[in-house]
Amino acid sequence: MVSITDFFVKGNAKGAARKKKNDDGGDTKKTTIDIIDLDDSDLDIAEVKSPVKRESIVIDTPPSVKKQIDKVIKKEEKPPSKVPVKNKSSNASVTAADVLATIPSVDLSEVHIKENVKFDFRAAAISGDSEVSTQGDFPEGQDNCLLGLTVVFTGVLPTMERGAAENIARRYGAKVTKSISGKTSFVVLGDEAGPKKVEKIRQLKVKAINEDGFRKLIAGMPADGGDGDAAEKARLKKQQEEARVLKEANEMAEEAEEKELKIKQARLSGDFVKREDLIREQDKLWTVKYAPTNTNQICGNKSSVNKLKNWLINWEASKASNFKSPGRDGSGIFRAAMLYGPPGIGKTTAAHLIAKDLGYDILEQNASDVRSKSLLNAGVKNALDNMSVVGYFKNKDDVNDVNGKKFVIVMDEVDGMSGGDRGGVGILAQFCRKTSTPLILICNERNQPKMRPFDRVCLDVQFRRPDANSLKARLMTIAVREKFKLDPNVIDKLVQATRGDIRQIINLLSTISKTSKNIDHTNISEISKSWEKNIALKPFDIVHQMLSGRIYSDLGANTFTLNDKIALYFDDFDFTPLMVQENYLSTRPSVLKPNESHLEAVAQAADAISLGDLVERNIRSSEQLWGLLPLHAVLSSVLPSSKVAGQFAGRVNFTGWLGQNSKRNKYYRLLQELQYHTRLSTSSNKISLRLEYMSTFKHRLLDPILKDGSDGIPSVISLMDDYYLTKEDWDYIMEFMVGPESTDLLLKKIPSTVKSGFTRKYNSTTHPVAIYRAGVSTTGSTTTVKPDFEDVVDADDSVPATDDTEDGKDDDLKKDKLIKQKKAPVKRKASSTATKKGAAKKKKA
Amino acid sequence: MSKAALSLELPWVEKYRPHLLKDIVGNEDTIERLKHIAKDGNMPHMIISGLPGIGKTTSIHCLAHELLGDSYSQAVLELNASDDRGIDVVRNQIKHFAQKKCHLPTGKHKIIILDEADSMTAGAQQALRRTMEIYSNTTRFAFACNQSNKIIEPLQSRCAILRYTKLSDEQVLKRLLEITKAEDVKYTNDGLEALIFTAEGDMRQAINNLQSTVAGHSLVNGDNVFKIVDSPHPLIVKKMILAPTLDDSLLILRKELWDKGYSAVDIVTTSFRVTKTLYELKEPQRLDMIKEIGITHMRILEGVGTYLQLAAMMAKLSTHKLSTN
Repeated sequence: MVSITDFFVKGNAKGAARKKKNDDGGDTKKTTIDIIDLDDSDLDIAEVKSPVKRESIVIDTPPSVKKQIDKVIKKEEKPPSKVPVKNKSSNASVTAADVLATIPSVDLSEVHIKENVKFDFRAAAISGDSEVSTQGDFPEGQDNCLLGLTVVFTGVLPTMERGAAENIARRYGAKVTKSISGKTSFVVLGDEAGPKKVEKIRQLKVKAINEDGFRKLIAGMPADGGDGDAAEKARLKKQQEEARVLKEANEMAEEAEEKELKIKQARLSGDFVKREDLIREQDKLWTVKYAPTNTNQICGNKSSVNKLKNWLINWEASKASNFKSPGRDGSGIFRAAMLYGPPGIGKTTAAHLIAKDLGYDILEQNASDVRSKSLLNAGVKNALDNMSVVGYFKNKDDVNDVNGKKFVIVMDEVDGMSGGDRGGVGILAQFCRKTSTPLILICNERNQPKMRPFDRVCLDVQFRRPDANSLKARLMTIAVREKFKLDPNVIDKLVQATRGDIRQIINLLSTISKTSKNIDHTNISEISKSWEKNIALKPFDIVHQMLSGRIYSDLGANTFTLNDKIALYFDDFDFTPLMVQENYLSTRPSVLKPNESHLEAVAQAADAISLGDLVERNIRSSEQLWGLLPLHAVLSSVLPSSKVAGQFAGRVNFTGWLGQNSKRNKYYRLLQELQYHTRLSTSSNKISLRLEYMSTFKHRLLDPILKDGSDGIPSVISLMDDYYLTKEDWDYIMEFMVGPESTDLLLKKIPSTVKSGFTRKYNSTTHPVAIYRAGVSTTGSTTTVKPDFEDVVDADDSVPATDDTEDGKDDDLKKDKLIKQKKAPVKRKASSTATKKGAAKKKKA
Repeated sequence: MSKAALSLELPWVEKYRPHLLKDIVGNEDTIERLKHIAKDGNMPHMIISGLPGIGKTTSIHCLAHELLGDSYSQAVLELNASDDRGIDVVRNQIKHFAQKKCHLPTGKHKIIILDEADSMTAGAQQALRRTMEIYSNTTRFAFACNQSNKIIEPLQSRCAILRYTKLSDEQVLKRLLEITKAEDVKYTNDGLEALIFTAEGDMRQAINNLQSTVAGHSLVNGDNVFKIVDSPHPLIVKKMILAPTLDDSLLILRKELWDKGYSAVDIVTTSFRVTKTLYELKEPQRLDMIKEIGITHMRILEGVGTYLQLAAMMAKLSTHKLSTN
């Protein structure tokens, strides 16, 4: 009890001291003060009342204090979730409960102090002497002392990284979440907390404490979270969990024994024993040994598993209705299912187990098999209509088991089709449309362009990374079975390090347990660090990390060194510079020097980017000075980011350079063509044609039609003939105009009868043609053909249809009789359907 | 002399390559784990990653030898970057090897060693995925690579990842002393120091440099080592950059670098490397300095590798140092 009062008094004293400081530094930051002022008013109440409240709880509600409690409750409007806890603890009248209840309320008063601290820290940081301390001085708490509490960390804590603080909370059994809700027990507030979060805290009246308070809380809490209601519940849950783990482990052991017995018997009686069964358990990989043996054991993704299962159960029925009735969940119209999600979370296992559960025989093809178009045609296609021999013989007596004679075809690693598998994706998508055998496809990346042929032909089943809770039981079971100690609180950490990859965690445990039989918070950070998956980041993640202000502060620069930053660039050195350039304006810089404006920082960043561009020219041009790549890394990415890094306002955009660059190339090509055509009558190069002729052309080619309708057409055509312009050139010239000259709206004003009249008129007469060097094809605006797999496939599919579309297009695009233009359609016919689609669209328009 | 010639027949790196796990220097924890695996059998799939010359390939070989003993020749398939490891090889050669029956004691498995796995194409790595799982009862994989992020995530998920760290100077020194003793090499302390310094934790480089120095000069001392290694000494460059005044910097540049005949490109690239990790200065300052060095680098590569450019670089750097101090 004494200590509690001590806490309180100390807290008050500190609060006062802090406040004073606050006043000193008050004039530097206006915005924060506003927030703090608000809090302060709350705080004053709390500071006055909190001792009373505390006492009341401890003393088990004597009448005199009760009044005050009521007052407190009324005034503070404690969140409902908290009140019952308090009542309960006071009813229980257990000393430990008192401690539990009191300590948080100390923290409550601390909240305000905390807010002041936040302010102080800011001021201190500005004056330049930010204290840098490590978490080494963190107090040791009792085991599981935060059990049953839900904690939210927000903002930048003064002396430790947020991740480290979260780890500490987890280590003591607290649940760490990201967003504040009614269930949150308390919030640890730091510097630069988001205004929304602060608002939420006030709204929900959640307890907010600072880092100091957090330290004290840990130092002061009794083991196993005291006797509070929440802790009780959590403890109960924990016990249940443990019991379940033990039960499962025992079951597993029994199963293993049974199996051994069976094998022994089978051997004695001379029956056939499967080869795999003869392998000793201890010689198997843990991932094999502890692989789920039925669908209930799959960790996480329950709904996805069920979705797949339902689909497969109903498959025969759907087939009977010819895949016309969608069924309850809409899966009835698909002959194939596509499982997708990151590796190591049980996609393949789920597919196999479900098929086995339903009695299907499995035919698997994976990336280690060649899956080109011809081989798939020869192999899998036959299987589509076949029956399983194994299933046939095994189930011949059982009339009811209809599935026994059927296959499920599992295509693993569909996105791994590459190089030698030409046409494989296309043919597989075709199978999906007509297979008479259930087909399960598995891949990691569903959104890749090469997976697009599977859109709308398969049932998409997404698998997500499971969270720590769904893995806990399974991992603990393994730990019990393998006789090593695993602290349940470190599982979060493992899950984080491996990004929810169950297989990786099991591999990790199997390797670590070879030498150390104890995995807890003493060695976990080392383990998780060395096992962290090192994956080349995607451009979006790179730029997100590159532009986050944290890594450029003095503290951050020590943990994330310059070399690490340069390594970020090297993860994708084609895209990183472009992405930085695209996004460097959309940050709110947190690294500005004193007296430096955002604009100045941006100017410096832009300067560096432009220098980087010079360097890139040296690297990519004929000189090929690849030795300058590290310099390019610094100039194009790290240096500009270091100037403007900060919080992102909005989302990360994909680089616009690629699109702009190809547009530029297109216009350049068009301009070239116009210059070839007009050069008999003009005397200019490309640039001056654009600058001096183009705008006049536009007026003289468009205005008569706008003004006089069809009457203006002859004059336009005669002008075009004078300059050897074709009808296509007319379109191009209109496209070139920008700004106030832009023709988009004007063109819409021309009635369609006039438009078609113009085309007819133009086509009905002959026109002079400027003959120029052959080989410069007239690539229209729509032909941006990307050579990729789909094209190859589609071209084969749709050959017969081509002629019709071509004819239609010819009329429609108003091609005239020039030789070169007859050539162009031929070329397009071969190239792709993209053009055709474009043409079709045009027709409609 | 004939005796010396004999001893040079084999590169020392090969001659003194450890054959047992216990002889491997450094990374004690990991090696300890490998020893357990060698004893108990049941090797998991694994990825060993780390910088060059720190014993990745050696430890895999040692492990395989200790696990398999005499059957090494038939139960190990080793492929490195010099072999064709395209998707076809993975689908044929590797898969066939995994399917092959091989009589081994219980608890031992066939091992497929894929050295320099980071140079395998993504397609080839994809093709390994199910192979690793389906045949895991008879075959285990060991990958060695420099950058583990070049291994696709699904493979990483299937493997135990062991990260090797740089060897410490003492560890390299210990090994060098053993070799000098065995080879009866004359050396001075500053010679060994120079070897260790230039190797930067790369044992192979240290041994190679030792052998080259012995072959060229017979005595291993500081001067001889730097003659062999022949790049500007990072410490001198650091001294030059951090010198209190511009005059001092230029003096060092002239006397200790330029006049000794180092090329401008070497000086400037070493400066770049040194500045990157110059923790005496704050990061924004370092970035600005790197910018100047880089621009000089570009000029030099354009053909102006003159003393004037280097001096200009130093002058610019010193203004940067002044402006922030």
